[in-house]
Amino acid sequence: MSEGLIQVEGLSKHYPPDVKAVDDISFTIQPRQIFSMLGPNGAGKTTTVEILEGLRTPTSGTATIFGVDVTKDYSTLRDRVGILPQSFEPFDNLKPTEAVQYWAGLYDIKMTKSQANFLLERVDLTERKSVLSRNLSGGEKRKLGIALSLINEPELLFLDEPTTGLDPKARRDLWRLIEEIRKKGTTVFLTTHYLEEAEKLADDVAIMHKGKIVARGSPHDLIARYGKMTVIVLSGAGSEALREIRRRGIEATEENGDVLVPVKDPTEMRAIFQKISGIELQAKDIYTRRQTLEDVFLNLVGAKMDEGDLKP
Amino acid sequence: MSRILADIMGFGRQYLRSKVGAFFTFGFPILLIVLFGLIFSPSGTQKVSLPVQNLDGSSFSVAYLNELNNTTLVNIRMIPADANITNYINDNSLSLALQIPVNFGSKIVDGLGSNYSGPVLVTIYGDKSQSTFGTAVAAVQAASVSFNYKLSQTLPLVAPGVQGLKEGYQFLDYFLPGVVGITVMTNALFSMSAICAEYRQRGFFKLLATTKLRKYEWLISKFVFFSIILILSLLTTFAVASAVFDTHSTITLLSLVMIPAGAFLFVSLGMLLGVAIKDPESGNAVANAISFPMMFLSGTFFPLDAMPDFLQVVARAMPLTYFNNGLRDTMVYGNTGGSLINLLVVVVIGVIFFLLASRLMSWKER
Ligand SMILES: Nc1ncnc2c1ncn2[C@@H]1O[C@H](COP(=O)(O)OP(=O)(O)OP(=O)(O)O)[C@@H](O)[C@H]1O
Ligand SMILES: [Mg+2]
Repeated sequence: MSEGLIQVEGLSKHYPPDVKAVDDISFTIQPRQIFSMLGPNGAGKTTTVEILEGLRTPTSGTATIFGVDVTKDYSTLRDRVGILPQSFEPFDNLKPTEAVQYWAGLYDIKMTKSQANFLLERVDLTERKSVLSRNLSGGEKRKLGIALSLINEPELLFLDEPTTGLDPKARRDLWRLIEEIRKKGTTVFLTTHYLEEAEKLADDVAIMHKGKIVARGSPHDLIARYGKMTVIVLSGAGSEALREIRRRGIEATEENGDVLVPVKDPTEMRAIFQKISGIELQAKDIYTRRQTLEDVFLNLVGAKMDEGDLKP
Repeated sequence: MSRILADIMGFGRQYLRSKVGAFFTFGFPILLIVLFGLIFSPSGTQKVSLPVQNLDGSSFSVAYLNELNNTTLVNIRMIPADANITNYINDNSLSLALQIPVNFGSKIVDGLGSNYSGPVLVTIYGDKSQSTFGTAVAAVQAASVSFNYKLSQTLPLVAPGVQGLKEGYQFLDYFLPGVVGITVMTNALFSMSAICAEYRQRGFFKLLATTKLRKYEWLISKFVFFSIILILSLLTTFAVASAVFDTHSTITLLSLVMIPAGAFLFVSLGMLLGVAIKDPESGNAVANAISFPMMFLSGTFFPLDAMPDFLQVVARAMPLTYFNNGLRDTMVYGNTGGSLINLLVVVVIGVIFFLLASRLMSWKER
């Protein structure tokens, strides 16, 4: 196994009496990627992240960042790591420019007003830089949070559910911002319970459930591995079509009058279409249904991902 | 050092922008001083109660007292003739008394004859710092002029003499250091316990924990900030009090040292509460529960000596008592030694609280 930027071995965090918030997980994260930890509420994402940020002590196991043991020497990492905590809210009575300058001071960084404004420009807050933070919208507050997390120009950035509770527009804005941050070479550790978000942003996904990592890989890999392959749908074709198709040795099922033809291997797609096209069909419509991470999750966990949970 | 400065600036700006914070630092003490000052100031139109000891048995002294009564400025109360006047004044905590001497009648008889040897003196015992003193002197002067005129037209037969009593203090003198005391206490205590609860709830502590700012630096920054604004608060409260009322307290160097010591004590205590408190509402409740009894039992509004014994024992256990006493010693009584001892107590309790707070407070989660 190659040395990763983050290396976690047998990590557990138990809370009395018997909550296994994190249950013996191991993983490695490669640099310059967006790594997404995907999981429903209570999966153990924040617990994992906060152990890595030196904010909680694990019950057992080890975790290193840049080869540094986070439980012992996290302080040596402060210059290299940026953090946006879950449901971050900035200080009410500071304007974004002031908040950035204040925060820079806490990192021993002397930041002029124009440098602070430059950072705010990067997160697209220029127009709101002189508004008291308490009057910012939810999305603007998160952007300010990301600006603060970028103050020390970190090599590794933790974003704990950065888009939870935001409207779709604000969410897409943040996605763009996160992609830009990655482009600059920063490694991003992103937790989310939005499948769409992981699918869109992540190079590497770990699906977490009840303290365990239940699947790991790129969104594409995961779909290929755990998703029930692509399905060709012959809408309204009926049972006669089903018989015809089966007679030609093609596996198929019927569901509400639709005929479903699963495609196990994408390379077979062409051949199957060719066979089907020879049949006289009375289908209203023919289309393929691709699987998403949502299906992966459903298949793995046997439950739908708990969406919503809009924290104020 | 630069981090502490950055935190003072960043935190201070927020604090002063929150109107509640600014009110409690500057508005609140001024409001208290003006309100209590007005409530307890003697109003000028009231008659002054004047205890009189008449050592003279003649009808002249009775006539003189009549004149005094006619001024309508005083209510005359008699002191027994066999009492020792200075003891009587002390025993009864009088700030005013008038004595008519033994030879009052005979001196007047002499004067009206041809043996005039100067006026006979009636002695006003009084505390010159009290507003009642001036009224009494005016009344005695008026009575004497009128008495002299009626009897001789020309000769000053009777004249007032003044015997100063040890100057006492007005309620306001006593109260001003008390107001400063509770201002320091409430600001530091309420702000710190609320800040700790809020920072924990909103994850600011975790955020701070990821910066280079150390916990002790954050604590020091709060202490420095509150010391500065509370010294400013002391100066403004004092300025308003002396502009509006006649006070005898002064701002001494030692009182300016007491403020940071008190800020240190109560900032540390607030943080100690903040360790246990999980949300801002209960933070407020606990801070109230601690500060309210302290406000009343630490000699803010009235002296400890006036309280029942068991309450005095309780008062000795209150840190605010030492802070109030220390301020009062230096600002009002000019008692530097006493003030230094109280300062020492405040600092020692402060150090204990500070050490406990910085050990027990955790920015992280277990
Ligand atoms: N301090 C704590 N004491 C007790 N239990 C805790 C504590 N912190 C977390 N837990 C429990 O650990 C589990 C994992 O919590 P965690 O916050 O890590 O989940 P999460 O994946 O971040 O969820 P969310 O999406 O809601 O943020 C939950 O069951 C939670 O109740
Ligand atoms: Mg979480």
